[in-house]
Amino acid sequence: MWAILKKEVKSYFLSPIGYVFIGLFLAMCSVFFYLDVVNYGSMQFENMFYSSATVLTFIVPILTMRMFAEERKVGTEQLLMTSPRSITSIVLGKFLAAVFIIVITEICTLAYLAILFMFGTPQIKTVLVTLLGFLMLSMAYISFGMFASSITENQIIAGVVTIGFFIITWFLPNFSELLTPLSLINMFDKFPSGLIALEELVTYITFSVFFILLTIITLQRKKSVK
Amino acid sequence: MIEVKNVTKKYGSFTAVDNISFNIKEGEIVGLLGPNGAGKSTTMNMLTGFIEPNEGQIIIDGYDMLKKPKKAKKQIGYMPEGVPLYNDLTVKEFINYMADLKMVPKKEKKEKVQKIIEQTNLKDVQNKLIRNISRGYKQRVSMAGALVGSPKILILDEPTVGLDPKQITEIRALIKSFGKDHTIILSSHILSEVSQICEKVIIINKGKIVAVDTPNNLEEKVKEGNVLQITVEDKEGKIEEVSKNIKGIKEIKLIKTNSDNTKEYTITSDKETDLRKELFEKYSKENITIFELKKAESTLEDAFMKLIENKDEEGKKNVGNTKKRS
Repeated sequence: MWAILKKEVKSYFLSPIGYVFIGLFLAMCSVFFYLDVVNYGSMQFENMFYSSATVLTFIVPILTMRMFAEERKVGTEQLLMTSPRSITSIVLGKFLAAVFIIVITEICTLAYLAILFMFGTPQIKTVLVTLLGFLMLSMAYISFGMFASSITENQIIAGVVTIGFFIITWFLPNFSELLTPLSLINMFDKFPSGLIALEELVTYITFSVFFILLTIITLQRKKSVK
Repeated sequence: MIEVKNVTKKYGSFTAVDNISFNIKEGEIVGLLGPNGAGKSTTMNMLTGFIEPNEGQIIIDGYDMLKKPKKAKKQIGYMPEGVPLYNDLTVKEFINYMADLKMVPKKEKKEKVQKIIEQTNLKDVQNKLIRNISRGYKQRVSMAGALVGSPKILILDEPTVGLDPKQITEIRALIKSFGKDHTIILSSHILSEVSQICEKVIIINKGKIVAVDTPNNLEEKVKEGNVLQITVEDKEGKIEEVSKNIKGIKEIKLIKTNSDNTKEYTITSDKETDLRKELFEKYSKENITIFELKKAESTLEDAFMKLIENKDEEGKKNVGNTKKRS
């Protein structure tokens, strides 16, 4: 798993993908930092994450769409799948590499926090809870993006399916209140209030595990169907 | 080393590989031969564990590929068709990554990777990005990737496709040198290649094994008679008449007339009779000057074509033989 994790992280930064992802996210963060924090003269760093989280909908596919689709298209999938590594460790390696990029991104956002510290004392606990929630939401999103990438050899299709799915879950509550528990992004709103929302955490983790398993099963099945 | 038992692979209703069985012993270099679409790549993909057969068993060095994939895969170095590589890595990074994937211990990694780079002659390009190196180098990088982790078995899918003649010779020499301490299976549709490198040939067609034998035996098998090629100067034009009086000649056929007025013929006789001496003596008596006289070798090409054409009748019989042999 570590070998794959290491190589995938390296690949993110050998290609522009890692920089594009982090750069885009931080650019949007800057906008939201100004609109949601500075504009109100607020000390609440976490406020910008309400808006920043929605950005994930559009940029997570940048990280995930190539994961398996590209390997399949180029044929390097054969190198990976015929190595003594298990499918589980391959999937986890790729998953954690993408999660690692999110962690790096979160660390970068601490720069905004540092700015706030120059003018006052923001609530560290709330900040940490927000970052935790953001990480969990990202993991759930990445697990779905990875699954989408495992079902096709076309990166674009994988990307579009992923964005489509995120948008649908985003707007589910608009159709019926009952569907709110399925809307990953709306669940996130609890975290910036400083609340460790257990129910939401469990949902994110369950969702991630489910799609990681689904990816493993898909790849396993491809061996016998292909 | 490799045992394939009654393996079948179906894609939907299409049977790509149909109940094949063969054995490969340690140290053998075996060629998998067949026209495009015969099932070569499918067979190799099953041997390497990339896809699973619908039926049958594949045992690699005592480990069942389905039950103990990790151990079985460790014994195999695979060079897939079309040499897929990670273009954004350098040659050295790629080989290092393959070493990591194949669980080469950290302590030995550096030394082993360096050794393989030397073995495959990649020293000059080791720090170049893979996307920037030539096809010939890519082929060698792919081969280096297969060699990493000292696998006992090398499986090479069409290792020389797309190379220029010089590169082909180099790659062949490389494969031969690996044959000393590896069991090798390579697939090809170039017959001369297989007869040069391999000790044993498995011919498959339409998913079935047509023959398993040494290249020489295969050539021998399909030979129907002794064929001589002869170039003569025959001013009086009586060669055909003279030939009628020589016992043993089954057929004499004019191939072409050369610009210097010599003529080329092929002369067919029974398998056992060698006419060369007799022809030489009789023709010279009749004022026919022999410029050239040689045995026409029936090639693996002939064997291949014949075996594939006769598949329906002969194929079944040969598969039967194969089973007995293993």
